[in-house]
Amino acid sequence: MGEVPTLKLVSPPAPGPRRPRPPLPRPGARARRVVSVGGGKGGIGKSLIAANLGIELARRGRRVVLVDADLGGANLHTCLGVDLPRKTLSDFIERRIERIEEVITPTGIQNLGLISGAMDHLDAANPRYAQKMRLLRHVQAMDVDYAILDLGAGTHLNVLDFFLVSDHGILVLVPEPTAVENAYRFVKAAFWRRMRNVAAVFGYDPLIRSLLAGNTFRSPVELVAALGQRDPEAAENLTRQLATFRPRLVVNQTRTVQDVDIGSAVVTAWRKYFGLEMDYLGPIDYDDEMWKTVRARRPLLVENPGSRASRAFGRIVDGLLALDAAAARGERSR
Amino acid sequence: MKPIPEQSFYEILEIPQDAPLEEVEKAYQRAKALYGPGSLAIYSLVAPEEMALLNRRIEEAHRVLLDAGTRAGYDATLPDASWKRGAPPPAALPPASEGAAAAIPGAPAGPVTPAAGGTAAGAEAPPPEAPATALDGAPPGQAEPVPLAPAEVAPIPATPSPVAPSVAAAPEPGATGQAASAQAPAEASQPPLAPGAAPATAAAMGTPPVASAARPGGFSMPEGAAWTGEMLRQARERRGLTLHQLAERTKVGRHHLENIEADCYPLLPAPVYLRGILISLAKELRLDPQKVSRSYLEAARAAEAPPAPPKPR
Repeated sequence: MGEVPTLKLVSPPAPGPRRPRPPLPRPGARARRVVSVGGGKGGIGKSLIAANLGIELARRGRRVVLVDADLGGANLHTCLGVDLPRKTLSDFIERRIERIEEVITPTGIQNLGLISGAMDHLDAANPRYAQKMRLLRHVQAMDVDYAILDLGAGTHLNVLDFFLVSDHGILVLVPEPTAVENAYRFVKAAFWRRMRNVAAVFGYDPLIRSLLAGNTFRSPVELVAALGQRDPEAAENLTRQLATFRPRLVVNQTRTVQDVDIGSAVVTAWRKYFGLEMDYLGPIDYDDEMWKTVRARRPLLVENPGSRASRAFGRIVDGLLALDAAAARGERSR
Repeated sequence: MKPIPEQSFYEILEIPQDAPLEEVEKAYQRAKALYGPGSLAIYSLVAPEEMALLNRRIEEAHRVLLDAGTRAGYDATLPDASWKRGAPPPAALPPASEGAAAAIPGAPAGPVTPAAGGTAAGAEAPPPEAPATALDGAPPGQAEPVPLAPAEVAPIPATPSPVAPSVAAAPEPGATGQAASAQAPAEASQPPLAPGAAPATAAAMGTPPVASAARPGGFSMPEGAAWTGEMLRQARERRGLTLHQLAERTKVGRHHLENIEADCYPLLPAPVYLRGILISLAKELRLDPQKVSRSYLEAARAAEAPPAPPKPR
């Protein structure tokens, strides 16, 4: 999400000689994109959305790797109907395996690979900072078109950082107060972390700390405004950097038209109070087919591609690809 | 992106300045549905006070913009620069302007709103049946939309002695209060509205300064006067609300409201509940919730307790 290289937290690794990888054929060079699926609350369909988005993208000829970044509760393999892989992220995190590509498990779906979450010991659920950085670096450098990260629930810094380094941070909510509340909490936490990151990178930290010490700010807008009085140039820069914080919203399990409209309402309200944008990628219909396929441990898009929810995934991928196309145009014209 | 109190009515409703009436109405309905109580999409987004402030601004915007006269008056006060786009910006924070906007907080909006609010209050003023009280310093005729309300409408020093007059006198500024929101400075420069009203009210509110600034000049009461059902009824009528509307807005049963206004203490719920009801009632009527509830509860207790309590009916 955004193009501040420093906010990738690290620079990409030096391009060493790559071993050829047989499993994923390469249909043509494309920009690598990191997509993460988060939303604060558990049980709102993050893993299923990640899995089905991955399948849909793979079917459209993109080379996709799903990364189960829900380190404490990895179950993406179950969503895909894959047996528990023998090699998982913990092998990579513990450096038993050096290259992340080597923990990719085939999913039986062309163009789609899976990196399963750490399963075997509890420490892996909370990787140390350096381990996290290494993971992020390698994910960004994977030779695929899309890396899709399935994030865990909550607003742990690990989760936020994965969300922030993504090109598309997908914010999932279901039309229920609990999910809305957690989604706002999540996105606010992510935003503040982003602000601190930007401030650290540009050396605004002391300035912001002194502002925060004397006042309470109810929104980032107020903070930036206060900053503007001290240092207009810094405020302008900060504003520009923060404007790239632009989550993509997905409303899952919509049952009514009102449910669908909640997406645009959230976008409007978020803009009204925080002066920030979100992109509403669209709703995913509540669909009994979905839980049937979950029960059967088969991905929806494989079992029932014609269902309402499946078609919704198609529309969401349309939206993502359109955003990427627009971004690519923007880069070229620059 | 300006903070809510600094947004113009057009920005509040997210419509262009030349939006036709129907669009204003539609935008208003949209905004009410989105930001009104019970809206799921805004659940926990911001603090309740902030949401209440936005809702007041939305109502105010609706009142002012729907009337061609008040709207023209309001438009005239808008600096051209404050509005230059039809839709919200595609990319978030419009850069530089941020600092500038902050440097002159409320500069454009400040002088504007009290006037507009006054107009709205005028438009909203109850029909002539209202001046029940003798000393109504501002005859209803005054309420003709002359956008200068607060200072003029407020009766020149309402004699603090009797209770009723000050009640009858203050409502116009009271209505203005909700519009004034962050314009405390502007209002402060006005002549004092009614004795003892503003500061105490604001302080007692305990809401953040922005919100409470909206209240000075609210329904003013000499210290120590008791809030009776009759006065609450007058306050309600001043605001042009029927019992039914008030019940709907406060989510308090209509029979409770009737009993409160009739001082039917024995029929009212237990004090703990009554207090909550009075507070939401007072808030809706833009009165000081603490004072109203305390005063009314005292009266109820006094009536209830030592001497033979009046039999329910």
